[in-house]
Amino acid sequence: MDVLIQLLINGIMLGSMYAIISVGLTLIFGVVRVVNFAHGEFLMVGMYAVYLLFAKLGVHPYVAAVPVVILLFLLGVLIQRFIIQPLLDADEHIQIFATVGLSTALVNLALMVFGADLYSVSAPDLRQSLRLGPYTVLVGQVVMLAASLALVIGLHAFMQTTALGRAIRATAQNRTAALLMGVRVDRIYIISFGLGAACVGLAAALVSPLFPATPTVGTYFVLTAFVVVVLGGMRSMYGAFLGAMIIGLVDSLSAYYIAPDLKEVVYFAIFILILIFKPTGLFGFGRGTE
Amino acid sequence: MKLLLKAALAAGLAVSATAATAQVKIGALYPFSGGLALLGDESFRGLELAVEERNAAGGINGKKIEMVKGDAVDPNQAVGEARRLTSVEKVQAVFGTYSSSLSLAATQVTELAGVPYFELGAISDPITERGFKNLFRSNPTARDFAASMVDSIGEAIAPALGVSDPKTLKVAIIHEDSLYGQTVAGYQTARAKEKGINVVETLPYSAKSVDLTPVILRLKSAGADVVLQTSYQNDTVLFFRQAKEQGFKPKAVMGAGGGYSLRETAQAVGYENIEGALNVDFTQYKTNAAAAPGIADFVAKYKAKYGTDPRSGHSLANYVGAKIFFDAFASSKDMTAASIRESVMKIDLPQGSTASGWGAKFNEAGQNTRVKPFVMQWQGGELVTVFPAAAAVTKMKTGLGQN
Repeated sequence: MDVLIQLLINGIMLGSMYAIISVGLTLIFGVVRVVNFAHGEFLMVGMYAVYLLFAKLGVHPYVAAVPVVILLFLLGVLIQRFIIQPLLDADEHIQIFATVGLSTALVNLALMVFGADLYSVSAPDLRQSLRLGPYTVLVGQVVMLAASLALVIGLHAFMQTTALGRAIRATAQNRTAALLMGVRVDRIYIISFGLGAACVGLAAALVSPLFPATPTVGTYFVLTAFVVVVLGGMRSMYGAFLGAMIIGLVDSLSAYYIAPDLKEVVYFAIFILILIFKPTGLFGFGRGTE
Repeated sequence: MKLLLKAALAAGLAVSATAATAQVKIGALYPFSGGLALLGDESFRGLELAVEERNAAGGINGKKIEMVKGDAVDPNQAVGEARRLTSVEKVQAVFGTYSSSLSLAATQVTELAGVPYFELGAISDPITERGFKNLFRSNPTARDFAASMVDSIGEAIAPALGVSDPKTLKVAIIHEDSLYGQTVAGYQTARAKEKGINVVETLPYSAKSVDLTPVILRLKSAGADVVLQTSYQNDTVLFFRQAKEQGFKPKAVMGAGGGYSLRETAQAVGYENIEGALNVDFTQYKTNAAAAPGIADFVAKYKAKYGTDPRSGHSLANYVGAKIFFDAFASSKDMTAASIRESVMKIDLPQGSTASGWGAKFNEAGQNTRVKPFVMQWQGGELVTVFPAAAAVTKMKTGLGQN
């Protein structure tokens, strides 16, 4: 029983990490409709930025979130404007090649600059275990859970209540109709992509104290993030959050009760079943949104 | 005038002809670029130092050794470069390779070409299990690593813990699930069965995993006393961090090189947390010189040439292997593949006679059989040799972490 509860706690914490990484992808994938394979590498860039700020200037990783979020927003804007935008009307495959190419280029750039070694932000205060009876959870994980909830609620409110949010939703629903209604679609795409990347910047600041930065750290997360986004119904923030929680719990429980090397098999099996029986995702809006 | 020119030309030709025969041309096949470049280059430095030392002492029977580099980034390129070295450069032997997959690919080419290949650093057993005649390996293999790890439970860990019967210790084997982890863990399981060691859990996991808590909870529930881990860097860091968070304190943890040998791993985990972790790998530099004569001399030469301490034990392993094979060159009749094989088979160096502490005696398959890796331990931020006693610089500590 003790083990089960520890595994559930662990799954929720893991889920909150997947959530905070996937929220940005939901924006990019759901609105701009670009399968961004470089999403994980945005996380990697963010984690190196957090590390550099920490190691060179002694900035606490959570404080580093501010400049890193801005940096990633700008990176996202530039990539959308100069790489994705020229390809928006091109074949989908070409967009995928562009983001895969970008991903490979970023990984190798990091290899060149930092080498294959791992760099770790030392934040003993955030790695402190909180003990709840026999169960343990890290301070950094609790902060991550709170931050991912706040981010999801905040983004949802932003999308529902502001004019810009409405314009983003309109663009996601129907690009042509939005254009006819006077929405500057190109600009919305740039903002959405920037926002999506900025969310990853926040994720980087929260993940850094828990995981060391390596050139390939992004690939660990990006596949899971795609599963989460599709599970969550593509552009629902709450959907993505719940999807992330499900994957986190499945990950944690199947690794213990089945086998640690088979957990991916379990959640990809769930993923395939959902694609077959409910292709719009667990929390999709119905047909036409996929 | 014309005559003079002809004479000069002829003289020039004669000079270059003698120069060509007055040297031994060898290929140095390593990954010099790409993801494996760091340790590939570190391995090459060992060979380079051995060549310089030999040339300074007169070369191979008066002939200087000339090296031609081949850059093997991946198995395809390893094949291409091995072809170039053997057919265009016409080298008399090839040395390499650091990575097992590169070695497996390149040796196919050299074997067909009838050029001797000297493997100084790749550990995959099948390299010397294919019945090749012109392939020799000086370094220990995955099977040797696994045997050292399992044997040390009875020979070193149990005595240090004051346990009289090692069979009472509960041993868990955990490993990353790619070829490296699968191979070493497979040999560990077999060896443990042979020795009657009680293995309570065998858990493979993906090195890409972002959470090893379930693995640790399984080990905790099983009450594992000794954990043998075969891992890369990321998963080593994760294991130590999460074991601490979950309050899992085995009596001993031992790695199979990989992530356990790297300073960056220790820094990421924290020296105070990795304190006491055991490791089996190529010989490292904090080893008793009595069991590894010449090790200090090697470090001094390395520092003089490259301006830093050696970055890993790979340079030493390559240096020692190259020196052994150069001696075989010197005693071979005519440097043909057959005569080189003959003189390699005659090599007979006892364990503890080289700078890495290894001996040399090659079996029919070309594998060095006198290579038992040492057991090392993280102590005070350094990886020091603790077993066997002859090679140890200090006593083995028990427990994990400083407390």
